[in-house]
Amino acid sequence: MKKRSVFALTILALCLIASPLSAQKVKLSVWAGDIPDDSPDHAYAKALVTGFQAKYPDIQLDYVGLGNDGFKDKLKVTMASGSGLPDIFQTWGGSVMGGYADAGQLLDLTADLKSIPGSAAAAQAVTWKGKIYGVAPFFAVAGLFVNEGIFKDNNLKVPATVEDFETVCKALLAKGIQPFACGAKDKWPTLALYMYLTNRFGGDASARAATRRLAYDSEPFVKAAQLYQKWVKAGYFGDTPLGEGYGDAQTLMFTGKAAMIVSGSWLSANFASSEMTDQKIGFYAFPALKSGSVGKVTDLMGMTDIGYAASKTAASKKDAVVKFLKYAMSSEAASAEPGRICSVPGVKAKNSITGQASAVFGGAKTVTFWWDQDLPPSVTSPLNDTIQSFFLPDTDVKKALSAYEALVTENMGPVKK
Amino acid sequence: MSQSMVEPSALAGRRRRARDRGRAPFVLLFLLPAFLFLAVFLYYPIEETFRIAMTKSTGMGSEAYVGFDNYAKLFVNEEFLAGLWHVFGWAFWSVLIQLPLAFLVAFSLTFYANKLTGPLRSIFYLSNVLPSAITAMLGRFIFAPKFGVISSLATGLGWKWLGSVDFLGNKDLAFWSVFTIATWAYTGFPIIYLMARIEQIPAELREAAELDGATGWRYAWHIVLPDLNYPLRILAVLCTVGSLKLFDLPYIMLTGGPGNATVTLGITLYRHGFINWNYGKAAAVGVVIFLLSLGFTVAQFSLGQSREGEKA
Repeated sequence: MKKRSVFALTILALCLIASPLSAQKVKLSVWAGDIPDDSPDHAYAKALVTGFQAKYPDIQLDYVGLGNDGFKDKLKVTMASGSGLPDIFQTWGGSVMGGYADAGQLLDLTADLKSIPGSAAAAQAVTWKGKIYGVAPFFAVAGLFVNEGIFKDNNLKVPATVEDFETVCKALLAKGIQPFACGAKDKWPTLALYMYLTNRFGGDASARAATRRLAYDSEPFVKAAQLYQKWVKAGYFGDTPLGEGYGDAQTLMFTGKAAMIVSGSWLSANFASSEMTDQKIGFYAFPALKSGSVGKVTDLMGMTDIGYAASKTAASKKDAVVKFLKYAMSSEAASAEPGRICSVPGVKAKNSITGQASAVFGGAKTVTFWWDQDLPPSVTSPLNDTIQSFFLPDTDVKKALSAYEALVTENMGPVKK
Repeated sequence: MSQSMVEPSALAGRRRRARDRGRAPFVLLFLLPAFLFLAVFLYYPIEETFRIAMTKSTGMGSEAYVGFDNYAKLFVNEEFLAGLWHVFGWAFWSVLIQLPLAFLVAFSLTFYANKLTGPLRSIFYLSNVLPSAITAMLGRFIFAPKFGVISSLATGLGWKWLGSVDFLGNKDLAFWSVFTIATWAYTGFPIIYLMARIEQIPAELREAAELDGATGWRYAWHIVLPDLNYPLRILAVLCTVGSLKLFDLPYIMLTGGPGNATVTLGITLYRHGFINWNYGKAAAVGVVIFLLSLGFTVAQFSLGQSREGEKA
């Protein structure tokens, strides 16, 4: 009897010791720019965190939302040091993610993720040198947001060609309405329009320049810059474009003080929100030139809007990582997003503007990735500086582009003859 | 006689030296943590910065030795030169505007002390306790075109000319807009510091000065200012070194723009290192900031000491 009791106690003790081990959760750290709060912009991030945690209680998710700039800085420093990396991090793909992959800091998930259904463009953004490192549930394309109410009140038609902008802008200025909002103070918002103008003048000029088959101070780039600066000087961006940040640009659109903005489809949720604006805003593809347009209306500019990739430190918990990435691409999580273009099949647009943006994206023949995300980091920030300088009336755009070309030559090599 | 007097003192000296030698290991032991801390967090990073500045490095892998190439490229780089110019300008105007302003306020609050002095001291210091991110956001809120405080007020009052001034987007005004906010934000500390020093001046001195007819600003000029020589020198050094390292306000308010209108050495360093992934150039900018700060600090103190020497 005594022996039996001792045996039972021993078994019980072993069970007690073993149970915490068997129930030990896999910890998964995720760093992201998006904070999972109640903002419409962050609805997906919030749904992802809460939904994943509910579905996989055996995986402990440590999601850290750091805000956009804070996240990018922290990730860069951590990647450089090589220690303290998160298992998963938010990414926009392109050359920045490629730089981490080249440095051997990422986990190759090609075999696990290649069969996930989604748009080809989104998959391309998280693929680097043939290897898939993550998922991209949302995609963004730049287009022309138009205040349809203002256009209707003033009997104006949405520009069908680049030349039409001049007629429309002059009419709007005469009515005391700022034609374009931009947010040039923050630099990067100036990029989308310049990318479109360059494409319309030179087609795949940017791709040729990035592979050093064309210089950044060649004709399409200069022509686009000259037209851009001409519009600035004509007051199409208002009297104080360099003093206005991206937030100010949105406020100008929300309040009907500006009639158009060329920006990413991520703004759809805000422009569709009745809490933010009472204006009727629509999304259109950026037009082509009336004559001699090399680029077409179906040539779009855009990239991953939200994506996730895994670092090499997560190799030992690959199963949990893949579960998270697959959940990120699930319609269950993606359905929570109110405004972005979704790469997940079966998820419908939540508002008419996102619907318009999705339709534009659906008709795309080519998508050029954001230059400031796709070019090597050594030349991206100077690129935005250069484009912002077009807003300064005394800038010689040809000279500014030649200075940029010199920097590109230094970092990426000269143009191949 | 003299021998008998010297011997005990020499003996005492020897004993003291022997005792000190015995204590030396303990002294070194107590100094060790501080030295290790400095070695890890100061000396090693400084050495590494000098080393990385001689390399071409993205911070993500291999480094290639390039000698002084990074420095050579910096001194023909428009952004770096603009940054250099701005930090010198910032230092010059800080010393010329912020310190006299701080002295005027500090002297007024102490000389004409009354029951408002305490609350006013707190009010002036308040800007100093605000995080610089908030200060910068306030600056944007004040100077922003169309929706900013100045623009809205001016438009409301019918002063269209003022309402349409682009304080942040005009490259000739942007520097001064940031500097104005900085003056408000950074003058609190010198005011408190100088007030503390002025309050230490003996009351008898002021009474004696008043008897001699030195009241008000004559008292300030002849009695108070000379007494503040050292504190003002310290503040000038802090101002100068702070200007050389300036980053937060111009970056958060304007990211160094428009163009390079508000770029500083700190911003250049940040852009090269964290945005352009060019650690070598970033380190070279860091070395320049370090050497300039060191040079200015040594020069300002040496100048002050030689003047004191001349007076003595």
